[in-house]
Amino acid sequence: MIVKPYSYTLQTLMIILLSVACLAVPVSASDLDGTAILQQVDRNLNPESYEMYRKLINIEPDGSKKEFVLYSVKKGQDKMVALFLSPASEKGRSTLRLNDNMWLYIPNVGKPIRITSLQSVVGGVFNNSDILRLDYGAEYDVANIAEEGDLYLLELKAKSNTIAYDRLKMWVDKKALLPTTIECFASSGMLIKTLYYKEPKDFGNGVVRPSILETDSPLYKGYKSAMVYAKINQKELADEVFSLNYLSRVDELR
Amino acid sequence: MFLLRKIITLTCLCTLWGAGLSVPSTSLAEDYSFSLDEFEKKSFSWGGYAELKWDHNWINQAGTFGLLGFYDNPRSDLDRLTSTVQLDGNYNKGIVDFNWLLQAFAQKSQVDAEQNLDIFSAYASIKPAPSVTFELGKKTFKWGKGYAWNPVGFIDRPKDPNNPEDALEGYIGAGVDLIKSFPGTLQTLALTGMILPVWEDVNEDFGEQNHINFAAKLYLLYRDTDIDFVLFTGDSRSTRYGIDFSKNLATNFEIHGEIAYIPEQKIKILNSSGLLESHERAVTSYLLGLRYLTENDITTILEFYHNDAGYSETEMDRFYQLVSDANLQYINSGDDSLLSQAATISKSGYARPQIGRSYLYAKITQKEPFDLLYLTPGVAAILNLDDESYSLSPEVVYTGFTNWELRLRYSRIDGGRFTEHGEKLNESKLELRVRYYF
Repeated sequence: MIVKPYSYTLQTLMIILLSVACLAVPVSASDLDGTAILQQVDRNLNPESYEMYRKLINIEPDGSKKEFVLYSVKKGQDKMVALFLSPASEKGRSTLRLNDNMWLYIPNVGKPIRITSLQSVVGGVFNNSDILRLDYGAEYDVANIAEEGDLYLLELKAKSNTIAYDRLKMWVDKKALLPTTIECFASSGMLIKTLYYKEPKDFGNGVVRPSILETDSPLYKGYKSAMVYAKINQKELADEVFSLNYLSRVDELR
Repeated sequence: MFLLRKIITLTCLCTLWGAGLSVPSTSLAEDYSFSLDEFEKKSFSWGGYAELKWDHNWINQAGTFGLLGFYDNPRSDLDRLTSTVQLDGNYNKGIVDFNWLLQAFAQKSQVDAEQNLDIFSAYASIKPAPSVTFELGKKTFKWGKGYAWNPVGFIDRPKDPNNPEDALEGYIGAGVDLIKSFPGTLQTLALTGMILPVWEDVNEDFGEQNHINFAAKLYLLYRDTDIDFVLFTGDSRSTRYGIDFSKNLATNFEIHGEIAYIPEQKIKILNSSGLLESHERAVTSYLLGLRYLTENDITTILEFYHNDAGYSETEMDRFYQLVSDANLQYINSGDDSLLSQAATISKSGYARPQIGRSYLYAKITQKEPFDLLYLTPGVAAILNLDDESYSLSPEVVYTGFTNWELRLRYSRIDGGRFTEHGEKLNESKLELRVRYYF
């Protein structure tokens, strides 16, 4: 796997220049614009509209694995579709997300059924909202921001109670403006899972982002899941692609 | 017998072939290598599954359907082995796609053997734009939001509530699908229209022959709610109207419903003289359901279904009494003419699954309990609310071996004399199903 150091987009550079300028005068963490940082984190992770190939790996305590390969497309803030390419038992299944609405289409069943964000169509630690993740800024407001050495710590609060996790603690690399670790909490305060972004990679067209997302959960002791990103391309898509009637035809977008 | 042997051979070959390839990979170090070469899009793709199913049936010897099936050869149990191969595929050339789904099965029990090859679907799609699709050929439609039943599935074949996720055979027709997305509260508007001819050898089992029928579905995603308006009109079946909806109330809670109105529904009913009469009446059928997920991954599907076109308890009693009288006549005189007559009447509707008016369906599954990954135990129940008879089916599904699915299910079917489930063919059933996807 080719791993390159982070390179910076124009927007990233502007934020860094602004940050450097701010260093000239002492500022408190509360003076930082958490919302702008979160917006840049989103853009650095993905273009606003893209196609992507991912592998999902569920790893059991004994090391055995189960793998799924997905093709996904996303448009704007609130539309995403994922199609299972492998294994054969899941091939042709597709999932659609429009805002907080999610559906699953199974070819044998022949019609989309509504699913919920806390379910998991693949088992393991990732749930549906992890697999069909929209921009963080679309779902969360920045409640607080602090600095911890080379990292920002963003405390995020869900915009509504329909979001899978009520609160997030997101550690962001100050230079790259990319997340390194995210802790996901339920409204009760219970830690549901931790996400670890790893191994930055140049995907081309200015997209430099972590190529691996690992997760573990105190609810699944000993189990681990990972997402491996292989290809991320900017792509123009019609709105109609993100509809129930199109779910059986997602493969045509490849 | 040639087809039977071929299917069993293919099933076994696929099963053995899969056995060598499908053990989950184990490695000490984390291997995150990912090559896209094998996932490049091809113009031709295919897949499917091979399945072996064994079931042991405890026959309800005193029940109506036990008597109709085995009065001349009584038996207390029946073993059956079924092998199935399902093949799906797609060929893409520009804006045209050809899709197909074929299913072949062979079944052997201690009393008979059966085999068949069905074309479930085979159709061409022409897609000049993402928002427009024209379709021609045989296609399966599954309209409605219900899991176990679909009152608005006007051009669907009826589902088996015991296996609602199984593929079904479609009908031949021509259709168009139009989609439009909007910003705002109305997010999606989609119209599906289908023309369904019924001629000799074309959709013969749909209804009256030599008519062309029309079905349409208007779908709206409005205020985060799925809403469908459904219409069927034509002379093969009477005109019918329907509405369904589905909505997520929370991240773990979904509700859905359907209502269908048929102003002139033909129903065949056994009268008090033991003769079959045809009636026509306006009927309304509806379904209300929910899907709820708990914090410890227990999913509950609950549905209430009412069907005005079903038989009342009195109407069902008449049929059960007829079979009981016919059996007495056979025992006393050896004359089975009345039993043959009852068997013919049963085919007019009394042998259909869920022939009553009001039902409750419940399915509870727990994903991966006690950290047992890929294991899903569950229980499904169908309760006839009029006569309080039921079927109860605990099961366990294991999907831990890549591309394999193993399911063990036991069903208890009961309710007492002259109740729907108390008169079924089986009083209980044990079923083991092994499916391999390729």
